Amino acid sequence: MTTPATPPEHPLPTTAPSPSPPEQPNPSARPDTFGPQPATGPGQPHPSQVIPRQRLHPLSPVLKSVRTLFLVVVAVSWRGVQNLGPDKYALVLLGLLALVLVYSAVAWRFSGYEVIGRELRIHEGVLFRRTRAVPLERLQAIEVVQPVLARPAGLAELKLDVAGAGKAEAPLAFLPLAEADALRTRLLALATRAPAAVAGTAPAEPAAAERPEEPDLYRVDNNDVVVSQFLTPPVMFTPLAVLYIVGQLVFNSEFGVFAVASMVTAVAGTIGAPLMRILNFWNFRIGRAPDERLRIRHGKLETRSQVVGPRRIQSLTVTWPLLWRGKGWLRVTLAVAGQSSVGADGQQSRAETDRLLPVATVDTARAIVPLALPGLDITALHLSPVPERARWLAPLRRRVLAAGLTEHAFATVDGLLTRQLTVVPYARIQSVRVTEGPWQRRLGLATVYVDVAGSTPAAAVHRPLAEAFTWADELTTRARAARAAAV
Amino acid sequence: MTDPRLEAPLPTAARSALDPWPGELTWRPVSSRLVALELTRVAISTALMLAVCAVIWFFTSSGWALFAAVAVLVLTAVRGVVAVRAARSYGYAERERDLLVRHGRMVRHLSIVPYARMQYVDVVAGPLERGFGLATVQLHTAAAASDATIPGLDPAEAARLRDRLAALGEDAGEGL
Repeated sequence: MTTPATPPEHPLPTTAPSPSPPEQPNPSARPDTFGPQPATGPGQPHPSQVIPRQRLHPLSPVLKSVRTLFLVVVAVSWRGVQNLGPDKYALVLLGLLALVLVYSAVAWRFSGYEVIGRELRIHEGVLFRRTRAVPLERLQAIEVVQPVLARPAGLAELKLDVAGAGKAEAPLAFLPLAEADALRTRLLALATRAPAAVAGTAPAEPAAAERPEEPDLYRVDNNDVVVSQFLTPPVMFTPLAVLYIVGQLVFNSEFGVFAVASMVTAVAGTIGAPLMRILNFWNFRIGRAPDERLRIRHGKLETRSQVVGPRRIQSLTVTWPLLWRGKGWLRVTLAVAGQSSVGADGQQSRAETDRLLPVATVDTARAIVPLALPGLDITALHLSPVPERARWLAPLRRRVLAAGLTEHAFATVDGLLTRQLTVVPYARIQSVRVTEGPWQRRLGLATVYVDVAGSTPAAAVHRPLAEAFTWADELTTRARAARAAAV
Repeated sequence: MTDPRLEAPLPTAARSALDPWPGELTWRPVSSRLVALELTRVAISTALMLAVCAVIWFFTSSGWALFAAVAVLVLTAVRGVVAVRAARSYGYAERERDLLVRHGRMVRHLSIVPYARMQYVDVVAGPLERGFGLATVQLHTAAAASDATIPGLDPAEAARLRDRLAALGEDAGEGL
């Protein structure tokens, strides 16, 4: 619904402008702006207040609730005109309008933004009041967006991309377009004063095709891709399903055309996914850009090219599917922050683009994985198994479960049939959690979770309690050290 | 309703997710009004369910409605106990470089969130929370699974915590 609006008369600066005049941030002492009485009086500006509290445009609540309002009006109009008569109907609509206006007035009074010290604060909500504090250093990019509805009013929305993972978490809506532009410039200037976060550096490189081609380091055999996709449960069970259909056709005369058609559709649906993967992983090549970044290219119908910087790789997963074990194959997937895969037509697509290797042998993986995570040998990880007593909770999985703190990364193994090794470099750990369920408590076990951006957490299940806490402590220490070393 | 395990210091051997490093940390409890808030929430939902039962009984005078009402009351007792225990279990500790949050009695959770990983901090207060003079602080990192939510804080304490977190988060790190 929202469209990025860059009207020609307002060319938006893509890079941060020159730094603003030096200001003295004072983060230690700040006025308490939280509380039932929302507005700190503009009369007492605090020394650390860089941008005093501003209200959003008065039309903002109306625009935000316009869709709900439309639905309500439609609901009322449904038979409403006949049943109530035109007079009463108009009265109801007027009442609704008054309600919206009152709500908007209240919401407008409470909503607003301000910059205090090094952080942007966004106040919103009438019943559920929320104050969001966004450190300016965390701002990755700021986008000025003009949704269709806001355009006639000349209003715009500021999307603050904080996570860098493609999800704008903190919208600031709505502001007059000029003010939005000015605020964007101002915020970027404030944000870039710290060298840590340079706004707008998300290295999206759609122009990969124009660059001179560097030699491929590795090329996945297309035959292997085809065979590996045939060795998946949906394809393996398809012959049985086809036999069933044929059997029904032969022996059951009452079998209708529609039943056959639906079954054929179902079979096509099951085979569809592996077929799409074969097309997607066709001609899978891994190259290395001059700046140490990996370039992954693949695709038959739609050629995809993707550049992955080693520092953007959040975690790496090696999977051994049950049906591939005979071949000794595995696949390697990456979780990348702010991953954007751009097709040949410049179109963002939703196809699986997280593969480092769609299918490979252990030896290949040992050669390729260090390109993504230097120094990682997936066959030489020192992992410790779970204690004997975990058998009460995981009788079969107990033999598989293992985890450990290796030199550069935290690694866990799980999965009885589809075995999975997850590796999280210490520098990419977001947070650490320990949980202890009632049964685990009885056995003195706990689960350690390591949270990473853009993927499910790596879980070390059923560790001895003391070890779990030692690990949690050690993980936070090592994560800090790794971060410090990387900066 | 006092739980001796939370009041008395634990023996060194009995480490749990509620006190992983005994003696090393000073855990701050949340406001005792959180218990009242949680009980009010349970009471409101019970009142709603009882009202539904009453309406059904009024129109059908079926015995099932009365049975359902009794079931609702039993459920309320259980939920009340669980809510009180859960509310009391919340605690947080500010270390030099990370924030620790613990909660839960049946399943015990401990979260360690480094300040350097913080993306933004939310202070949320719903209508009921404001009635009790409480607020919730939520710490967000780039990982969706990170779980650092501290309910039942004094608005002043919530503001202090937010300011401290924001100030510490500025120190280092890129968030990713």
